[in-house]
Amino acid sequence: MMRTFGRACRGARKVFLKVVRQTERELLEVGRDVGPLCLSAMLHLSEADRLTQTKREYLHEKLRCAAANYEPIQAQSRRLVNGKKLPHAKIVNAYDTSTTAIVKGKSNCPAQFGKKPGIIAEMATGLIYGLHLPQGNPDDASYMMPLLDKVNIAISKVQKKRKPRIVSVAGDLAFRDACLRNDLHDQGILTVGIPSTIDPVPAIPTPEMIRAVQAQFHLGKIPSATKVKTAYACGYSRPFVESLIETLSCRGGTRIKYKGHTGAMVQLTMAILAHNAATLVRIQQGRLTKRAQKVRRFFRLKPPNPLKNNGPKNQ
Amino acid sequence: MGIVRQLQHWLGGSGPRIRVSDFVPSDHYLRLFADTFSWAEMVEAVERSMARRFPKESAAGRFPISTRVLLALELLKAELSCSDEQICSRLRTDFALMYACGIKDVQADVHQAHFVLPEVLCRFRSRLDDALMEELLQIQATAALDAGLVSPEHLVVDTYASEQGSQRVTDATTLYKAKKKSSPSSKKSRRNSTKRR
Repeated sequence: MMRTFGRACRGARKVFLKVVRQTERELLEVGRDVGPLCLSAMLHLSEADRLTQTKREYLHEKLRCAAANYEPIQAQSRRLVNGKKLPHAKIVNAYDTSTTAIVKGKSNCPAQFGKKPGIIAEMATGLIYGLHLPQGNPDDASYMMPLLDKVNIAISKVQKKRKPRIVSVAGDLAFRDACLRNDLHDQGILTVGIPSTIDPVPAIPTPEMIRAVQAQFHLGKIPSATKVKTAYACGYSRPFVESLIETLSCRGGTRIKYKGHTGAMVQLTMAILAHNAATLVRIQQGRLTKRAQKVRRFFRLKPPNPLKNNGPKNQ
Repeated sequence: MGIVRQLQHWLGGSGPRIRVSDFVPSDHYLRLFADTFSWAEMVEAVERSMARRFPKESAAGRFPISTRVLLALELLKAELSCSDEQICSRLRTDFALMYACGIKDVQADVHQAHFVLPEVLCRFRSRLDDALMEELLQIQATAALDAGLVSPEHLVVDTYASEQGSQRVTDATTLYKAKKKSSPSSKKSRRNSTKRR
């Protein structure tokens, strides 16, 4: 008996169901003893006096993971064979349950399997301040607060009297959640860079738009018109984000080779650290794109260009 | 693992002593790349984390390979898209890489095949964890903010898919190979020690 899996537009695959069921039964029988064996091993481990506390904790954690893996794999395996729809965080790798299928903005290509890291970067040069790598494949909006916390930690360690502050944050349509927007407004962060519809966000706002943005904030936290204008000018740019992802890709940040969640974290962080170092070299040498130079002038990291008429920007 | 194979070149060697910083051009990319990191803070963070999670049970034994070298190798591996073996082999001959790893002087010895072995790098990597990685990233970001090179005022957030790639040479394979490789060298060293007796 053959059954077809997957959507037709992504290339449906036919599977010999009998072979799948037979293999599944054998594997599940082998795995059935893992749970009781782990429990007995844990008992022996607690009696082992020769091992250090650190080593004992390490082995205990490994055993706990091994014992917990069987149940979800068994449940998922049975559902898959019956042809039912899988839940959101589905297991695709028995050795690394945090690896999931990522069906993100793709309509005519095979689904990717792996992890979905989130990054927070500076708008001008693309220096990455933080990385968030959750277990599974959660909603994009859930990445925002952990990433902002990472930037705030970095800011809190700055040894300057006047510490910088996050003014605005930009993102794609996946971050348009109203609750998230309110949370950001409560922190005094502008969200003009996060679109609410598919219409493009204008680079230069009208005075009405500025007033509308200022009206969203409570008294005492109202951002100045200049800050709103800069936030509009630094709106979300897909080519900019793609360039960041591409540079990470060159450093192995888009193809995880190390094992497990920690391995992925190590590989991605090393790629980001290398990317940041390369960015800092470019900043020190002044090898920046026209866009980066323009945005750095908005941030007052670079003096204004005397060869250009800066009048309209300062209105 | 054989002791002879793990020896660090800068501890021995009979050739002339060369200052690495005099050799690498001041505008060399890897030199500039390495100079952007605040190494002292990063190394301290790694050592603190490792000392807490993997406390040393005994003070006996040889000095370990410097954390600075291993951390730099791991970073350079990402920057130069090399494998463990490639980066370790390049470190033996590439002065820019030595500079990036914080090696100040080299006393060349033609018989020394390796400075750092891939399996040592592999073991070091296996001891890194999520919290430490976040701390390293935070140290770099804070240093850039302190230097006034970047501003955190306007930020962009996004996610991307990172596929699970297949690793032909896994860490487990490297360690397995190391055991096999080390057996003749350890036998040799054992034989030498018995002869001396």
